[in-house]
Amino acid sequence: MKKGLFLIVSMLLCATLILTGCAEVVQMGTTVGQGMGKISKEDKEALDRTAKQTAKAVRPMTEQEEYYVGRAVAATILGQYRLYTNERLTTYVNTIGQALALASDRPYTFGGYHFAILDTQDPNALACPGGIIFITRGMLQKARNEEELAGILAHEVSHVNHRDGLASIQKSRWVEAVSILGTATAQKLGGAEMGKLVSLFEGSVDDVAKTLLVNGYSREQEVQADGSALTFLYRLGYNPYGLTDLLERTAREQTGGSNQGIFATHPGMNQRLTKTQSVLSQNRWPRKDDPARDRRFRELVG
Amino acid sequence: MKAKTLIIFVGLCLIASVALAATVKVITQEAVIRKDKRFFAPALVRAPFGTALQETGKEGDWFRVSYQGQEGWIHKSAIQEQKFQLSSLAGGQADEASRDEVALAGKGFNPEVEKAFRDKNPKMRYDLVNQVQAYRVDDQKLQAFIQAGRLQEPGGGK
Repeated sequence: MKKGLFLIVSMLLCATLILTGCAEVVQMGTTVGQGMGKISKEDKEALDRTAKQTAKAVRPMTEQEEYYVGRAVAATILGQYRLYTNERLTTYVNTIGQALALASDRPYTFGGYHFAILDTQDPNALACPGGIIFITRGMLQKARNEEELAGILAHEVSHVNHRDGLASIQKSRWVEAVSILGTATAQKLGGAEMGKLVSLFEGSVDDVAKTLLVNGYSREQEVQADGSALTFLYRLGYNPYGLTDLLERTAREQTGGSNQGIFATHPGMNQRLTKTQSVLSQNRWPRKDDPARDRRFRELVG
Repeated sequence: MKAKTLIIFVGLCLIASVALAATVKVITQEAVIRKDKRFFAPALVRAPFGTALQETGKEGDWFRVSYQGQEGWIHKSAIQEQKFQLSSLAGGQADEASRDEVALAGKGFNPEVEKAFRDKNPKMRYDLVNQVQAYRVDDQKLQAFIQAGRLQEPGGGK
């Protein structure tokens, strides 16, 4: 086969591979091609190799794996903060959160979305992989109405949608985990392999927990989470200005010098504010507050 | 290789990829198959993780599926489209073909790994995690909350 044509065919087959995610589909095409005498054995082998190499990129974590990492991260956080168990308030936060999750791009996750309140005055909100989301009492107090509370929760739902927590896991850990799993195929893992896998799990949980509690996400991840949050709020019929109003006040406080809690783990408030304001003005979304929502917020949150 | 042959190749690949979409697998702990393609439509039947469902149609973000003699709708985020196994036809390696199956069969970070992790880290508050995961809001209450707050019923991502 001519060099130029070979390149085109390779590219087309790679495109097919991306579409189908299946090296076997490409293999079938090349087997038939060789059988018909249209391509040589060498060409077939080269095309199959390209297809396999493309397919061999490490698979992403499954929903189930994400769920178990998320549970362990939540268990870590609940080891550090007390769970606030006011039933009415917890139900209120969960109801807003569940509605936002359904309005998001990923309404269902392996174990679903669950929202809980942490008993600390430190204002913060944290999203564990898979859908367990925490908001602190201090953060609840920062919200002035249901729109602002929904803004905070929508931002955290966006982090779950974008799998931002998992992105903080060191790549080498996951590559190694996949390689251990690959060697075991469908059989049971041996003791040493299992021990190694548990260590990799532990390291992964630690990576995510550190990002949530200490280092925070990148500014880019925060800006993207805000962008999606605005969309989810709008879809559900909330006033998306709830998020910008809250960001505006928080940015002012940050200028005042605080770099604890939410300020440490949610960087670049000013940049986020500018971006969200431009999204709102581009879309010309109207401000629409609602007295019924204000009433229930005042009654439950104060 | 002639252009015609090339078209045949790509055509074969695309036919095969259409065949891939015939079955979908549940990727959540439990998925609800509903009467209509809406989040709050009545539930017909529940399917556990890993169940293979026959796909009979698709509209927007919703797949029409049949399971246990019932036909209804399931949201795309609760399922994964299945890969067609051609390894026997093409003489491919079994381990290559079954990578996704291994993951879907629950190999990986799974209950077994969690148990070993918990044994190693007894101070982890899994008891509280279970308590948090029991927080649920049923469909009716959620719908009533949406209506009372003059919000819009979510349509499943646009």
